[in-house]
Amino acid sequence: MNEKHLVLHGLAIKKHGTPEAVAELMGLNEDRARQLMDEAVANGRVNEAGGKYMLTPMAQMSLKSAYSKEYADPRGSENFLQAYQNFERINVDLKQIITDWQTLDVGGDKVPNDHSNSEYDEQVIDSLGELHERVEPVLDQLAGGLSRLAIYKDKLLAALEKAEDGDIQWVSDAKIDSYHTVWFELHEDLLRITGNERDE
Amino acid sequence: MPEQWTIRLDGSELPDKQLIGGKAWSLARMRSLGLPVPPAFVVTTRACKAYQDQQDFPDGLIDEIREGVHWLEAQSGRCFGSGPEALLLSIRSGAPISMPGMMDTVLNLGINADTASALAEETGDSRFATDTYRRFLEMYAKIVLKAAPPELDPDAGPDAWLEAVNAAAPSPVPDTLEERLMAAIRAVFDSWGNRRARRYRKHNNIPDDLGTAVVVQAMVFGNLDDNSGTGVLFSRNPLTGEREPYGEYLTRAQGEDVVSGEHTPDKLEAMQSRQPEAHAKLLEAARVLEDENGDVQDIEFTVQKGELFLLQSRTAKRAPAAAVRIAVDMQRDGIISADQALARVTSTQARALLAPRLAEGAAAAASVLASGQGACPGVGTGRIVTDSDEAETRAEGGEAVVLARRSTSPEDVHGMLAARAIATETGGSTSHAAVVSRALGRPCVVGCGEASLLAHAGETVTVDGDAGKVYAGALEVVVPDERDDPALVELLAWAVDRAPIRVIRPDEAQGLDALDLDSIDGGEDPERLPELLAGASAARGGAIASDAGVAAALNAGVSAIVAEPTLPVMLAALHQSRARNG
Repeated sequence: MNEKHLVLHGLAIKKHGTPEAVAELMGLNEDRARQLMDEAVANGRVNEAGGKYMLTPMAQMSLKSAYSKEYADPRGSENFLQAYQNFERINVDLKQIITDWQTLDVGGDKVPNDHSNSEYDEQVIDSLGELHERVEPVLDQLAGGLSRLAIYKDKLLAALEKAEDGDIQWVSDAKIDSYHTVWFELHEDLLRITGNERDE
Repeated sequence: MPEQWTIRLDGSELPDKQLIGGKAWSLARMRSLGLPVPPAFVVTTRACKAYQDQQDFPDGLIDEIREGVHWLEAQSGRCFGSGPEALLLSIRSGAPISMPGMMDTVLNLGINADTASALAEETGDSRFATDTYRRFLEMYAKIVLKAAPPELDPDAGPDAWLEAVNAAAPSPVPDTLEERLMAAIRAVFDSWGNRRARRYRKHNNIPDDLGTAVVVQAMVFGNLDDNSGTGVLFSRNPLTGEREPYGEYLTRAQGEDVVSGEHTPDKLEAMQSRQPEAHAKLLEAARVLEDENGDVQDIEFTVQKGELFLLQSRTAKRAPAAAVRIAVDMQRDGIISADQALARVTSTQARALLAPRLAEGAAAAASVLASGQGACPGVGTGRIVTDSDEAETRAEGGEAVVLARRSTSPEDVHGMLAARAIATETGGSTSHAAVVSRALGRPCVVGCGEASLLAHAGETVTVDGDAGKVYAGALEVVVPDERDDPALVELLAWAVDRAPIRVIRPDEAQGLDALDLDSIDGGEDPERLPELLAGASAARGGAIASDAGVAAALNAGVSAIVAEPTLPVMLAALHQSRARNG
């Protein structure tokens, strides 16, 4: 796989990403990623501010047009696309669980979950664990088609176990690699690999 | 021969919770209080232990389960596996201690092509019968067979459904109903050994051989005739806290119908006029359960041919206003102490009640620029900015901005953080904007409609995340006073007597030598407070009034906090010290 492409693709997933975060997610050496990102800054494909990098609109466009060639193999694999469809099905459940995490149903009204009811929170984390058990074989199938995707399984489990140990921001906090953050990045990665659009 | 592995929950005794698990125990307790619950028996934790040891059902268990099912048939007057009145079962796990990893409930076990047609005849609703069968297969595939369940086409029919599930699952759906029942019970026992359960037990020093029980219960039907229905009852209003029972009832419906939202349920009064006897029994049951548990109950129930059955009763979740009123009312009635009343209101609930809101009448006089779905409550005013980078830059320059986007994605998070409020044109309550705004605590309205917002870039608006409205202009916002509400005043008085730290309003703190965190770098970061507070006797500003700030103040031995409102700070301090002292 083309490293230059991987770095740009990694920045499309990790918006405002650091070389460290992009390297981890894309399975690259960190120094190499930093070097490639600085080169991309030099030729105007990436902007850098305060150690964080982001794609220029031009790079976004050229990246999109390169996907069909870079990801011809998974796009042509029945097995990979089947796994992707399974992921999308489980994604519906994930979104519901995150909504349950953030809102409580009080007599038919939705109110924000203030996380004062630890029993309720534990139930939601438990259903996240149940979902994780269902998604594991799907993640294995995806990594079978594209090996760099294996990192998502490790990162999801790491976030889940922190949440299970009572560190509840690891469920959905947008500022850290929480379960929802990693899941969202995986979803974004898969949409780009398969050439699908997010339906919001 | 006496039963060795199963116990029938006939109300004759209240068996040991260790043996029958929490769920069966609460069913048994409801029966012993004389309350009507659908007939059930339980496969005990002892059977689970034997299963773990032998990796198989112990001798005699299969026969006992069969006899248990016969007993359920006799109790319910229905028949497992055939019509005209077919018996369907629910299978639930229930360990003595509530713990993660346990298998979810399987409903409607007992439905197949034959019983589905009997059920169609009995309910006069063939759609319901085939839907029940389809939902059962989806649920069974997911929960018992651990398959990523395919979406079954409602029109394809049972043969195609079975084929689709069997193709997706590692093992097929067993042919006979009895095999399905046994496999579901095995799946509960197996869930005792999964990753989550093992991990939880290790962390909490719970012995691995405690085991889980399995509750097998007859399903009741709220859709048999016009004298049947299903609903939910709260023993008090969970939104306002009023003492009146509050609930919903749907005639001729199963539980799924209430949840699905496809039908609009009636208020409880409709049940009173149609089913006066069941209604009276229900209110009496709510009173008994509230007294017994010392807190407001949320009760699921079904009326089958005029006969009331309670399915579940648990402590009700409640809105902030209700939490305050219920706590104060129950203390006045002598049901709970003032300490307990304080424990039942969280600092977050008190903050929500006292948060700034639109002034009365302000909304009525204002023009609505856009309407959508409220995704995160609160009010925020600012200039509409449609780009996240711009939002961040302007906010850093001290401008109040509202981020408006068609929809948001992870590349907008920095803009959402910088904004006073967020609004989107597309998306619902599970969209990225909704999910992230709640995580960040920013007022948010989603789904305002195509082209409703972006054209208004640069205009000043007020976003009301409670009402789901975006108003033109800067509306008047009021800050509620904790001394104006009688119930809050009462809570305040109890809190002042008990709080482990003094909380003083700014206008009463003149002359007090308090460390001002607003004037110190990092004072707004709760993580820095432990070092900043060292040696201070009193503090104000920065993050001092947050839960983390209060915790840091208690740790540092600070004796007074200057903040307003005072109740959330005192509640945070009380909850902290309670958690520390066990």
